[in-house]
Amino acid sequence: MSAGAFPAGSAIASRGGSAAQPTARRRIRAGKLVTILYFVVVFSILLAPLVVVVGGSFSAPPNENVVMSYVQFPPERLTLEWYERIPSTQLRALGVSFLLALAVAVAAGLIGVPAAFGLVRGRLIVPRTAVSAIMRAPLQIPHVVTGMAFLQLYYVIGDRWGGYLQGTAAGLFLAHLFMATPFVVGSVGAVLQRFNPRLEEAATILGASQWRTFRRVTLPVIMPGVFTGLLYAFIVSFVDVPAAIFLASPQAMTFPVELFHAMEQDFTPSSLASASLAAAFAIVLVYAAQRFLGLDALLRSRTK
Amino acid sequence: MKSRWGSLLIGPFLISAALLFGSQFVFLEQSFHRDLRFGQQDAQWSLANFGQVVSDPYYLHALWLTTYISLAVALVCIIVGFPIAKVLARQRSRWTTALLSAIVLTSFITTVIQIFGLIIIFRADGPVNELLRFLGVTGRSFELIGTPLGVILGLVYASFGFAVMLMYGIVLTIPVSLDEAAAVHGASRLRILLRVVLPLSAPGLIIAFLTIFNSCMGSFTSAALLGGGRVLTLPVLIERTMLLDVKYGIAGTLAGLLLVFVVVLNLVSVAILRRFRATRMVSV
Repeated sequence: MSAGAFPAGSAIASRGGSAAQPTARRRIRAGKLVTILYFVVVFSILLAPLVVVVGGSFSAPPNENVVMSYVQFPPERLTLEWYERIPSTQLRALGVSFLLALAVAVAAGLIGVPAAFGLVRGRLIVPRTAVSAIMRAPLQIPHVVTGMAFLQLYYVIGDRWGGYLQGTAAGLFLAHLFMATPFVVGSVGAVLQRFNPRLEEAATILGASQWRTFRRVTLPVIMPGVFTGLLYAFIVSFVDVPAAIFLASPQAMTFPVELFHAMEQDFTPSSLASASLAAAFAIVLVYAAQRFLGLDALLRSRTK
Repeated sequence: MKSRWGSLLIGPFLISAALLFGSQFVFLEQSFHRDLRFGQQDAQWSLANFGQVVSDPYYLHALWLTTYISLAVALVCIIVGFPIAKVLARQRSRWTTALLSAIVLTSFITTVIQIFGLIIIFRADGPVNELLRFLGVTGRSFELIGTPLGVILGLVYASFGFAVMLMYGIVLTIPVSLDEAAAVHGASRLRILLRVVLPLSAPGLIIAFLTIFNSCMGSFTSAALLGGGRVLTLPVLIERTMLLDVKYGIAGTLAGLLLVFVVVLNLVSVAILRRFRATRMVSV
């Protein structure tokens, strides 16, 4: 509702006479100004680190004598040099993170979508709330605990049966899958619960087979929920530090953990450059999500 | 026909249950064997680890520190974020999509990147300290790394987007017609906010507060990077105990305590939600 859409001023005017109207309008305008000012301040502060990182990644040292690892902000001269100098370990880590997150999202989809159908529509022998609680439990477990728990699990597996999962991509994959699956179950489940069964009944009455009904009616309706879930599954894996810090190794290093270690030692503008690449990718993801899924679908499943 | 849907659940359920119980069982079991350091455990069952953790001021301080940092972060996120969420949910403009996208974006980027930026901004010769010097606030430059305040700031950045998303959802559940009814009767926008929207979203805000508090209790990245080894919150301590000190039993005990704390808090917020639902105060 916009300020002009509602005659708040006229309601006051009818009581207080015509002199009250400009005052009320001025008050509304002042209120709007305060709102805008508040938004500008909060969003500037919120986005400042990101702007600084991207800006800093293009900054050239003011002259040749300055130590190369020094980040200039605001940059005096612009350069793409840092992008050429991104260490190969960071580029590799970006690739690993991307593939890992993709694999996690696909696997979480393969597990989560059937699980959501079973949970919402199945006639279960065991109490639904118990099954649901177990499927959703990973959401409640802090990621630090998850990382440590999986590391200890891998140690025990190594001791008992030989072989090891710690420090491997498979080990990271299992832990991330554990963290990500509930997001798919949650968002697909939410869509299924809102699903109008009459749509399927209508298709069946009109002679569609069960498979055809599922493919042509059910699937299109739940697709936004599926993609939202997959997107969250991807992101959970793609941005994770606390779990991967236990499970990653130089052989299987994710990008956030690589950056984490880079920051613990020293950080050159090259780290800012690779961080900017990850940020640019995130911007593309958000834009695509907003275009094809709509922000409301995205936000609604987040509030559950 | 309906039972076929149920059979879809078997595979996913078995995988999820195996991952859940497999991972949680091992460290919880370890925590009940006395830690002998260097990754060794006593074979006998005992509560020695718990005794050690509960009686050691080092660990108790970490618990206290984590709690008060998380409380501060949750408070800041709710107070600063609520007006944003309320306006975004209520007043559609051409900026709404862009602003919501920005909120979502902050949660799509790893916290490490945001902390990169924060460190540059708060560097001794960074913009903030330049500004402080310019304003004549002389004396020491503002230190971000290694102080609880720095960790709080980092955690606010890590949680703010999530907080706004939660509260946006809450405001959306309050019918606009109530605002309009108040407006018809001459209430100003501020009055509508204070007397209509705020009271109706209060239960949701309590839940949002608990959710943010909860996620901060388990937050690792900001505390590890901005704490600089001096602000040891529980998650940071768990990581150090496990990876640096190689005390699996103690790390398991700390993780177990954190887990119990977090799960209990979740149950409390579910109970609160149930109660409000029963009295039909919210429809979240």
